Amino acid sequence: MCATLALPARGQSPDSNSSEYLIKAGFIYNFVKLMQWPAGAFAQASSPIVIGVIGADPFRGTLDDVLKGKEVNGRSFVVKHLKWGADLKDCNIVFLSASESAHLDDLLRLTKGGPVLTIGDMPGFAQRGGIINFVLQDDRVRFEINVEAAQQANIAISSRLLALAKIVSPAAADGRKAQ
Amino acid sequence: MNLKNLSIKGKLMLITMLTSSVALVLLSASFLVYDLISFRHVISEDLGTQAEIIGYNSAAAMAFKDASTATATLQALKAKEDVVAAVLYGTDGKVFAQYVRGNVTRPDLPPDDTSINGYRFRGSYLEVFHPVSFNGDPVGTLFLQSDMNQWSSRAKNYAVFLGLFLLVSAFVALLIASRLQILISQPILRLEDTMKVVSAKRNYEVRALKFYDDEIGRLIDGFNTMLAEIQQRDAALQGANDELKTRTQELETEISHRKKTQEELLGAKRAAEDASRAKSAFLANMSHELRTPLNAIIGYSEMIEEEIQDSGQIQNVQDVKKVQSAGKHLLALINDVLDLSKIEAGKMALSLENFEVAAMVQEVTATLQPAIAKNSNALQLELSEDLGTMRSDITKVRQILSNLLSNASKFTDHGTISMHVDRVSTSDRQWIRFRVCDTGIGISTEHQANLFKEFAQADVSIARKYGGTGLGLAISHRFAQLMGGSISVESEPGEGSVFTVLLPIQATADVAGATPKAEGTPAVAQETNPGAETILVIDDDPAVRDLMSRFLTKIGFHVVAAAGGEEGLKLAKRVNPVVITLDVMMPDVDGWGVLKRLKADPALSKIPVIMVTIVDNEVAGINLGASSYLVKPVDRDRLAELIEQYRGRNGSADHQAVMAGVERAANEGKTSKRRDPRYRSN
Repeated sequence: MCATLALPARGQSPDSNSSEYLIKAGFIYNFVKLMQWPAGAFAQASSPIVIGVIGADPFRGTLDDVLKGKEVNGRSFVVKHLKWGADLKDCNIVFLSASESAHLDDLLRLTKGGPVLTIGDMPGFAQRGGIINFVLQDDRVRFEINVEAAQQANIAISSRLLALAKIVSPAAADGRKAQ
Repeated sequence: MNLKNLSIKGKLMLITMLTSSVALVLLSASFLVYDLISFRHVISEDLGTQAEIIGYNSAAAMAFKDASTATATLQALKAKEDVVAAVLYGTDGKVFAQYVRGNVTRPDLPPDDTSINGYRFRGSYLEVFHPVSFNGDPVGTLFLQSDMNQWSSRAKNYAVFLGLFLLVSAFVALLIASRLQILISQPILRLEDTMKVVSAKRNYEVRALKFYDDEIGRLIDGFNTMLAEIQQRDAALQGANDELKTRTQELETEISHRKKTQEELLGAKRAAEDASRAKSAFLANMSHELRTPLNAIIGYSEMIEEEIQDSGQIQNVQDVKKVQSAGKHLLALINDVLDLSKIEAGKMALSLENFEVAAMVQEVTATLQPAIAKNSNALQLELSEDLGTMRSDITKVRQILSNLLSNASKFTDHGTISMHVDRVSTSDRQWIRFRVCDTGIGISTEHQANLFKEFAQADVSIARKYGGTGLGLAISHRFAQLMGGSISVESEPGEGSVFTVLLPIQATADVAGATPKAEGTPAVAQETNPGAETILVIDDDPAVRDLMSRFLTKIGFHVVAAAGGEEGLKLAKRVNPVVITLDVMMPDVDGWGVLKRLKADPALSKIPVIMVTIVDNEVAGINLGASSYLVKPVDRDRLAELIEQYRGRNGSADHQAVMAGVERAANEGKTSKRRDPRYRSN
């Protein structure tokens, strides 16, 4: 928390910005609880869940703080800040920062073919092929889920999560373009 | 209504109903309590489960801070009617989402209380706090509040159902009891009916019907046994009663038989009484018939004697005196016999009066002096000084003493006759003792035994030698007894005799009256000696009227005579006599009737009446108001004495002459009185 308070916010007050991303970090942790990756996504039973953050990191360490010491089904978390060209398929979860909105289609294409949960933080992310997208609704953090994309990624999403999410379908053109 | 006086039927029903109802109520209540407790447990478990489900369903929403979804989840509780409030608290303790039935904001919702994990009952609410975790991470707490509507409605329904069940089972119990109580009540009621029949109709032949072999059955057996016993006794009693009736009838027959006998006896008694009355009447008549001629004989011989003496033919006086003496002796005999028969018949009455004993004795001795002097005997008189008066029948006392003295003088020659009189006291009474002693021939012991028996002189030869009827002592003995006294004798032949008479100073009267009978012959009123005081003589016997008139005229009275009662009454009113002499036995109105009417008439009632009659009933005469009572033949001295009392009552003239006449008559009377053994006034 002290860290978040120390970091400057972008476009918003640093306080509200950091609290938003603190919530989002918690949401990511909770998403994992309701997800099921296919067998073979992890090398070992105790292999950690690897989260790769692409682009300008809006969490500024909050995600690391939130996930530190946490485990889901005996797996701990590893947060990586990915550079361009890194193999996205090495990650179990890829968070695409809003800064990467211009390259979104390319980045998403890189995740195809592997069980990678893509989480975005920009409007239209889910429609463009991302699996989960954070949206702000009445100053509250909500999220959209593209069930088709999740199925394509071979990731099972608990109905409990779906019940809370806004289910979106990929735009036809975008979807086709993406494929 | 008093419960204790309820009928057996009612009691049985009541007992059955009360018992079953209490059991049912207790059972139902315990069922209800058990059910409600277990149901409460069930619904609290149920609410817990509810909380678990709701918690699970809202865990994700909480994890993702999705309050609207959480609220929507809570809204699912709408289906649960008894959940009135549900609240989700976040980990920070703030309300995350809430649901209130009817969407009313509840200000009294409790804060998140993590100390409670599970359910609790607060007021009428059941509350549950359930921690909500999201995949192992606590995300908040769920609070559920139930108004237990389900429970209370169940309790209500249950109570209603139990009430209905109770009513129905009570009704069924009533039906069963009303059928079953007959088992007990019917035999008792029948027994009661039988008892009523027995007590109302006294019918001991009925028997109570036995239903079952239980206690009541044995009671009925006992009752029947008792009835049989009573019946047996009743029959025995009836038998005894019948026998008694038979006996009673026998007795009645016996009684009627005896009644008849009694009536016959009564008839016989009446006949005997009639006979007795006839005998008495005959005796009275006879005495009257005997005395009447004697009256004439003595009276006229006295008159003749006087006339002879007046005319100086002394040589004839002795002859006339013999006639007189013989007549008087005969009269004495007749009187003795009549006295005795009267005594025998129990008709001798006492006429009690108070008199001086000494005077009476002196009078008697003076009267008897000539008889004593006849055999040259001397009389000694010894009177105790404390003699005083006695109450007795003076005539009878006189007669006793006269008898004794005349006997003593009869059987003593040249001796001494002494008379001792004194008072003697015994434990209970006071007595006067008269002792007459002589120095005469005495009486042998064997003769002494018969001395006081009737017609028993000491020796038959004595009667010839000394004369007398032999009745004197018997009569004296009877008189003494009549007056409550006694007479006894001590004697040695040749040594003289001592006769002792004991008489009580106070004699008690034993009154017996004779019924006077009217009889006689018609007579003519006679009037003599006009101018002097008038004496009315009422007598049906012309001889008596003649003698009385002559005598009374001689002593200086004017005599008016009447031959019957009616005539006498008329004359009495007309002449207003100074004295009336009245006979009893007269043909028309008898002397008693005349006396009554005289005394009833105010003009005549003051006139003294001297009864002059053969009927010896002085008591009746005195009671009716007679002044004096003389028994015929009349002692003229006595008559003169009595009449003298009344002379001058009317203030009549010629008192001197009358007095002279009386004196003369008295002097003349003395000569005849000496030989008169009946110196009596009745």
